[in-house]
Amino acid sequence: MTVQSAGEAPPLPQAQRLVAILSDHRVLVSIAALALLPWLLPSKALAVNVLIYGVVVMGYNLLFGYTGLLSFGHAAFFGTGAYLTGIVIGRWGLPWFAAVPLAIAASTVLAAVIGTISTRTRGIYFSMVTLALAQLVYYVALQASSFTGGENGLRGFTVDHINLFGVQINFLDPLNKYYVLMSLAALAIWVQSRILNSPFGAVIEAIRENEQRARACGYDVERCKLIVFMLSGAISAVGGCMSALHLSIVPLDILHYQTSGMIVMMVLLGGARSFFGPFIGAATFLILEDVVSVWTPHWQIVVGAIFVVFVLFLPKGIWGTFLDALPAARERR
Amino acid sequence: MPSYETKLQRAGISRRTAVMGMSAGIATLAMPRLGRAADDTIRIGFPTPLTGPFAAEARDQVKCAELAVKLVNDKGGIAGRKVELLVRDDKLNAGEAATRTLELIEKDKVHAIVGALSSAVQLAVNEVTRARGVIYVSISQSDTINEVKDFSKYTFHEALNPHMTTAAVARQTIKKGMKVAHLAADYAYGHEMLRGFKRAQAAIGAESVGEILHPFGAADYSTFMPRLMSLRPDVLCISNFGRDQANAIKQAVDFGIKQQMKIVVPVILHNQRLAVGPDVFEGVVGGANYYWGLETQNKTAAEFNKAYRAANGGAIPTDYGAYGYSGVGSLLQAMQAAGGTDTDKVVAALEGLQYDLTKGPQHYRKCDHQSVQSVLVLESKKKSAMANDNDLFAIVASDPGADEMLRSCGELGHAT
Repeated sequence: MTVQSAGEAPPLPQAQRLVAILSDHRVLVSIAALALLPWLLPSKALAVNVLIYGVVVMGYNLLFGYTGLLSFGHAAFFGTGAYLTGIVIGRWGLPWFAAVPLAIAASTVLAAVIGTISTRTRGIYFSMVTLALAQLVYYVALQASSFTGGENGLRGFTVDHINLFGVQINFLDPLNKYYVLMSLAALAIWVQSRILNSPFGAVIEAIRENEQRARACGYDVERCKLIVFMLSGAISAVGGCMSALHLSIVPLDILHYQTSGMIVMMVLLGGARSFFGPFIGAATFLILEDVVSVWTPHWQIVVGAIFVVFVLFLPKGIWGTFLDALPAARERR
Repeated sequence: MPSYETKLQRAGISRRTAVMGMSAGIATLAMPRLGRAADDTIRIGFPTPLTGPFAAEARDQVKCAELAVKLVNDKGGIAGRKVELLVRDDKLNAGEAATRTLELIEKDKVHAIVGALSSAVQLAVNEVTRARGVIYVSISQSDTINEVKDFSKYTFHEALNPHMTTAAVARQTIKKGMKVAHLAADYAYGHEMLRGFKRAQAAIGAESVGEILHPFGAADYSTFMPRLMSLRPDVLCISNFGRDQANAIKQAVDFGIKQQMKIVVPVILHNQRLAVGPDVFEGVVGGANYYWGLETQNKTAAEFNKAYRAANGGAIPTDYGAYGYSGVGSLLQAMQAAGGTDTDKVVAALEGLQYDLTKGPQHYRKCDHQSVQSVLVLESKKKSAMANDNDLFAIVASDPGADEMLRSCGELGHAT
């Protein structure tokens, strides 16, 4: 934030002023961009997927990009959010607006458990512990098939109408569905922005930059790591809820470590440490997959090659590289 | 001195204007979309795992489905409308399949869906189609899809199911008083086949001496073989699919299991037998929905083979491929009878349809829309008995289709 005293500051060039306004209103700008998504992409189903993975990766980015903790088990929170939404609607017969908070709460509790164990370790050990614990969640879902449907996935909780203050909305209509889910995404984006703008947001970035120094300044580093782990899990779980409502099934694969890997890939493609990066990364990955897999069954080679190029030559990702090209944006992340 | 833009932002005007502008823009964009999809082509969506471990079977299914569409189009289509097949890769992933199915219905405006090649994937596709009132003809094995929880009036199951497949195989291979051991893949397909075998052997009066589950996609079975041999069974049932089947049988042969017991599989796979050669599979007995060698005793099979050879440079259709032909073919016949694509009329036509596309008469049972059809039992030939490279199996039995083969409607939870 720049403080301007009267008449002193030189007028900013147009481009810089634009960047300044955009980043000051990043929540509104993100939501506006997402509102246009269904009209820009080839299909509504793809647009919803970008929305879902955008939110999941954004939650993950809180941990990876802003706190510098490389978790390799974020599928656990994505999947738990989805499974709990399905179980609460399908098995307990509660409406969707009860299922979503319950699912987020359950994922937060799970994040507290996994976070308590994993934040005691650092570096590669942290990644391994999160991976192992997430696989544990996967096997629980596989074995507890009376709750989760096991191998066959969870079914039988299709939401076809959403009742908003007496107005019946047809939830099977792809556009209605998109904008209802977008409201959930908007909430997650706002929460993420609030966290980052708070003093706590400054502390986690301090931990990323220099953990010893943050500790010397008197911050309780362990507690901050645990809290950010829980917040990250909760935001990623919102994506899980959206996924369950969107697909009307929960595939077991949602909990698999390949999903965790995909989340890491998306954040690296888009650019960690930036607010928009996760959405750019999710969109790039999913559009590539969608477009290339129609051309060739060997789509993974193409997507993999592009990913390698990014890791080698553009480590800041698409959005990070773009921001670096704008001098005005550099100090306004 | 706050800048001009900040003032605007504070006034809230720009936001409201932006929203109004956006809705105006969206309305304009929506205009041409309303007029779309009014052309009269009949579109059939076909999600199938073109990538992944079942890619070979998936490609066969696509070829056969395309053949069924081509034959109808060559005769002038349905009520003068051309038929188009939209193939999509579901990557053998339930979430991907659900997304593709949504795309096919919402964007491509398909009139029906046929396809999917795994239990979990077909159930995911079915969940999406039934909520939207779109007909789905499933063409891979599953018992679950017949049960009342997953059933809907739009759900049809053209493939065999594990219950009928294992019963037919057990009738030919298991005798009263025999000892039976099981090796099954630890996922839905393996579980359902295992359950089917156990039920069949209990009815016959054979004894189960043990069952071992192996992980899906396992490459090494050497740890299981000594345990299986120590059980001293007369028959070993290996219930798994794709590469797992070839690997498990190959390693069983290496351990000399065939000298002690007979190896039986629920579904003997054409492509896997081709992949590992005759010596490994020699004497293995398994079920099948189709085998090209049926042409010597069945007129329909001869016609189907002829059409397939003509379209594919002399190649022969495979077992799972035939599902693609009969799944799409029966749907198109029902559309012919209904005179178009009106969903309720096509559902009624499918329920009343008597069709014979690949191997003899078939029909969909009214209560669960399971295709009642013959089950073949095949035995893999030894190398010296093969007349040519495609002469893989001897037909041990061909049980004609009957409702008694299936679990009763009451057992599946349907109103009787």
